[in-house]
Amino acid sequence: MLMLRVRFHGRGGQGAKVASRVLGTAAFLEGYYAQDFPLYGAERRGAPIAAFTRIADEPIMERGVISEPDVVIVMDKTLLRDHQAKPLSGLKKGGVIFINTPQSPEEARAEYTIAGQIITLDLTKICLDILQRTVISSLAGAVAAKIVGLSEASLKAAVEKVISEIVTDSVILEKNIEAALYCFHAIPAVELKTTEAVQMESRVFTMPFEPAAISSPALNTTGTTVLRKTGNWRVFRPVWDYDACNKCQICVARCPEGCILVNEEGFPYVDYENCKGCLICVEECPAKTLGKEREVHAKADSEEVIG
Amino acid sequence: MKKEMLTGNAAAAWGVRLAEVDYIPAFPVTPQTEIIETLARWIADGDMASRFVTMDSEHSMITAAGAASATGVRAFTATSSQGLLYGFEMLYAVAGWRVPLVMVNVSRGLSAPITLETDHNDVLAARDSGFLQIHCETCQEVLDSILMAYRLVEDERVLLPIIVNMDGFYLSFTREPVEVPNLERVRNFLPPYQPKHAFFKASQPMAQSVTALGGSLYSYFKYQMHLGSQKALEVYKEVCVEFEKEFGRHYDTIEGYMLDDADYVLVMTNSFSTLGKAAVKRARARGIKAGLLRLRLLRPFPAENIQRALTGKRAVAVIDQNISVGKGGILHSDVASCLCNEKQRPLLFSFIGGLGGKNISPGEFEFIFTELIKAVAGEAVEPSQLLYTEEEWQEMVRLKRIAGKE
Ligand code: SF4
Ligand code: SF4
Repeated sequence: MLMLRVRFHGRGGQGAKVASRVLGTAAFLEGYYAQDFPLYGAERRGAPIAAFTRIADEPIMERGVISEPDVVIVMDKTLLRDHQAKPLSGLKKGGVIFINTPQSPEEARAEYTIAGQIITLDLTKICLDILQRTVISSLAGAVAAKIVGLSEASLKAAVEKVISEIVTDSVILEKNIEAALYCFHAIPAVELKTTEAVQMESRVFTMPFEPAAISSPALNTTGTTVLRKTGNWRVFRPVWDYDACNKCQICVARCPEGCILVNEEGFPYVDYENCKGCLICVEECPAKTLGKEREVHAKADSEEVIG
Repeated sequence: MKKEMLTGNAAAAWGVRLAEVDYIPAFPVTPQTEIIETLARWIADGDMASRFVTMDSEHSMITAAGAASATGVRAFTATSSQGLLYGFEMLYAVAGWRVPLVMVNVSRGLSAPITLETDHNDVLAARDSGFLQIHCETCQEVLDSILMAYRLVEDERVLLPIIVNMDGFYLSFTREPVEVPNLERVRNFLPPYQPKHAFFKASQPMAQSVTALGGSLYSYFKYQMHLGSQKALEVYKEVCVEFEKEFGRHYDTIEGYMLDDADYVLVMTNSFSTLGKAAVKRARARGIKAGLLRLRLLRPFPAENIQRALTGKRAVAVIDQNISVGKGGILHSDVASCLCNEKQRPLLFSFIGGLGGKNISPGEFEFIFTELIKAVAGEAVEPSQLLYTEEEWQEMVRLKRIAGKE
């Protein structure tokens, strides 16, 4: 019996859910039983989300979160250090990790001390080149389709079906197919030889009574956001040009995170630890002086522990 | 202590006044309005030191009451029927905040069709929300229960909101002798509310009711509400003892009437229990070993007490003054669930009666006992029946004719 479980880790807006659908649809079109499912909180661009695809040659008797995947697709490498997303958790022995990064597999292995098979490709760059945007759903779906061994024809049909349900623009659809097929061919074929996961024993716990002072859903502490810096959510960072800025402070007022401050001369500056890269400030600047730069997460996330 | 003639609504207002409540957000709805009118008058006259605010709806009203409670003050509010349903979303929210709000519900049947008279579908709709529920038979009990309610839910082991329920018209507008306790004695029983745990204060920022994404977090908070509610059974016993010590009146979670040696038992709640007790007396006079069990605390559900009261009885009729459309009597299911594993469980039957304030006549009670006796003798008896008389049916026939529905 064949049963493959693929887990996608992305950030809100990157297209992890659609990637899982591209893979699920491709498997379905190829005649397999398939199931796909996203899990995300309140909608927030940049927040970690996960999506799941199951592929089997028998009816699938599972639902929900995949805790022991055969393949993990990491669509944003900053997630590797996110202690809540934990993209590598539960990966089966012999499983495959794909990381969206310009690094080589060896560089990534060294930086994140990862065991197991690693495949890398800079999906964001390919996407910017072909589609001029950073939504890498079709590309990540294509990579996953290649890893699990689905055919090019199924992938192409799946991208067509899934993306045409979302966008009406045929040019965007064509470019999605082009980018997907490019990625499909750019990564090597792998042999997935995962062993069945050992079922972790879970014992039922009798929950004790705790008084409401402890058990009400309240936070008695302040400053808990330092545990969850949103700075590594960015794909682009806003950059200020003080030569052109007229100090109107509209960017300050419009930032939904409240992370733009004003210096002594009256110029705005940003707290990059918490700026999540929504680029609303860039959009709102009436003088059009705010620019954006592709983010390179070199050391920004180094203090967080690997999950 | 002397007694005076008070309506259920006036008795409720007295309970709130004696509890020295700090904050009362209000919105009128028949048959509850008299409670808040009375309180508003007392506050205007300087007889009470509370803050009174008229809100734009019950939704805002329950939110305001819960939020005030979250700042550590003693809050009160009251509603009825459609009003309770209008604020329904906030019942679950306020309960989840774990705040000791006391709310009176004056039961009234839900539309459609519109009625002003009583039944319990309104308050029972809130039974799963986390609010505790006390259901009262007399005006005295309304006043006393409000005092007991604050003492119960302000206990750190409980910290959940509570509804004190009385029947619209049958209690709310009915005057009967009520003893209004002396304020000093109330203060002995119910000291000022001084929460020791964290509450909203300007000097101490905190977040209440944060998001709990992920099932295991949510399960923890939800189940702790349940455990807190269960804990209230234990705390209730203490409150009950203290109350009796101070005022000499005893209110258990359930009340038995001629129950100890009874074979045939009626299970009822609220003001119509008085009618049931009269029926029990009449049945006894005819030689039937009848008894009545009145459920007073409905949430937490005193399953063990009910079990103890009903095991070994021959036949039990649960009279539900409510209807879960498509299922039947709500309390019948609850009572059945705590008896189903008992070896000596009685035969159990469901009767729907008193919907929309419809009277339950002596003849209908007699019918119930006859059915129970038949069942014990081995004859077939319908498991669930509506109490409705021939004359009532004839009247419906006449009205349908007038409405052009022949
Ligand atoms: S909105 Fe633009 S011009 Fe105004 S302060 Fe910000 S950067 Fe400067
Ligand atoms: S991109 Fe601009 S608006 Fe968005 S969080 Fe960063 S500073 Fe604020």
